Amino acid sequence: MVIEAICEVEMRYSFLVLILALFAAPVFAGAAEGGEQFLRTHCASCHDLNGPAPQTIRQLWKRDAPDLFYAGNKYRREWLVEWLQKPVRIRPAGVNYLRHINSTPPKDQKKKAGRQYDVLWGEVLKPLKHVRLDRKKAEMVADVLMSMVPNYALTANEKLDTSKKVTLDDGEVLIDKVHGCLSCHQIEPGYGGYTGAELYTAGKRLQPAYMLSYIRHPKQWDPKIWMPGYPKMPEEDLQKIVNYLILLAKEDFNASN
Amino acid sequence: MHPINLILMGFFFLGFTCSLHAEEAYLNYKTYCMQCHGMHGKGDGVNVPAMNVLPRDHSDNKYMMTRTNTEIYKAIKFGGPAVNKSVKMPAWEDTFTEEEIQQLVGHIRTLCCEQELVRGVNFR
Ligand code: HEC
Ligand code: HEC
Ligand code: HEC
Repeated sequence: MVIEAICEVEMRYSFLVLILALFAAPVFAGAAEGGEQFLRTHCASCHDLNGPAPQTIRQLWKRDAPDLFYAGNKYRREWLVEWLQKPVRIRPAGVNYLRHINSTPPKDQKKKAGRQYDVLWGEVLKPLKHVRLDRKKAEMVADVLMSMVPNYALTANEKLDTSKKVTLDDGEVLIDKVHGCLSCHQIEPGYGGYTGAELYTAGKRLQPAYMLSYIRHPKQWDPKIWMPGYPKMPEEDLQKIVNYLILLAKEDFNASN
Repeated sequence: MHPINLILMGFFFLGFTCSLHAEEAYLNYKTYCMQCHGMHGKGDGVNVPAMNVLPRDHSDNKYMMTRTNTEIYKAIKFGGPAVNKSVKMPAWEDTFTEEEIQQLVGHIRTLCCEQELVRGVNFR
């Protein structure tokens, strides 16, 4: 009962924060006024454009869409322009996997080693419904998004060492056997776990510096996210993994499927 | 204020902090561990089809009784390899405070060893 009371207070409080967030002036570094306005009216209802990222688990569970307030530190512009015209799902279990798992599976549920496991259900099984923009709007929105760079300090010292080359096979060994990323991430459509973002497009979606920083300390970007950090991973492996992800994104997955 | 009121208030706050801790550990377990260990901690999480080493069934009383609290603590903090298990059990030292890890150990004991807890078994 006490906890409920606390939660209620907290909920009211977070509503206040939301109101504040909606009215507080965002820090757009000199982008076109029209684009900003467009983002605020068409995207802010789902995406956080102001930050900070959710600081408690309860706030995290209320998040409906990926945070965009550090978009300029994260995405590649070319990818944004393409994706905004043709949005497709990136997280197989949705933005919050807890909303999309079910422990009472249908009769035809497969077993593994005699165990029935939790399954995905609900809207994540259908194609993503998302605002779709024409090229002109997509370019405009991408410009504004790329100007939002509050997390600059996290990527400033990250540099990709392209001399740490890997083959697709060696990269897969690192992702699967050596560090166990495959449990949560897919490196091919349908191959890998569900609760993280797909990694087979990461190389063309994300900036190398973002990947280097995020893999080591995801909590610096998103304090409560359910990816463990890898502060002790050897620098060599980290560089190889990011080079692998960039190489992997050049594969044509539509052709092989 | 009457002393009995103070004592009552003391109890109130004790109960309050306890349930708050249990609640926190449960929130943490749900957010971070359920994806592999499953909604009921039976090692049947949604990621299991992608894994070649199955997550531990935390309700498996027989097995969990062979593990000490220290071993469970180490597995959570430093990952599977710290207790001679698979890397598919990640290290969570970057995610939790000391206190949160201790609370998770306690939470796992409630999933597996309720009867032993009632009997007051010392897990070290
Ligand atoms: C109805 C809610 C909603 C609205 C409105 C919305 N989005 Fe989204 N958006 C989502 C969800 C949910 C995802 C996550 C898709 C996934 O991961 O599969 C997403 C993903 C994205 C992504 C990819 C981010 C990432 O890291 O994966 C971008 C970029 C994006 N949206 C931009 C926009 C822009 C620009 C607008 C406004 C024109 C907008 N969105 C409006 C819900 C919304
Ligand atoms: C326990 C599950 C889990 C494990 C293990 C895991 N991740 Fe993640 N990863 C996540 C989640 C959850 C996200 C955040 C997705 C989001 O932004 O919604 C993420 C995000 C990422 C991102 C950024 C993706 C994006 O679109 O923003 C990269 C890159 C990444 N992980 C790489 C790795 C690598 C490399 C490893 C292994 C060393 C790894 N992950 C291990 C769950 C995991
Ligand atoms: C990426 C999937 C994954 C996630 C997330 C995960 N685990 Fe595990 N866990 C495993 C696997 C796989 C094993 C079995 C390792 C083995 O038997 O070699 C395991 C084993 C364990 C064990 C038993 C170790 C032993 O001595 O046998 C404990 C305790 C444990 N996990 C606790 C947790 C806790 C607490 C969390 C959440 C903070 C968590 N796990 C999150 C995959 C995961």
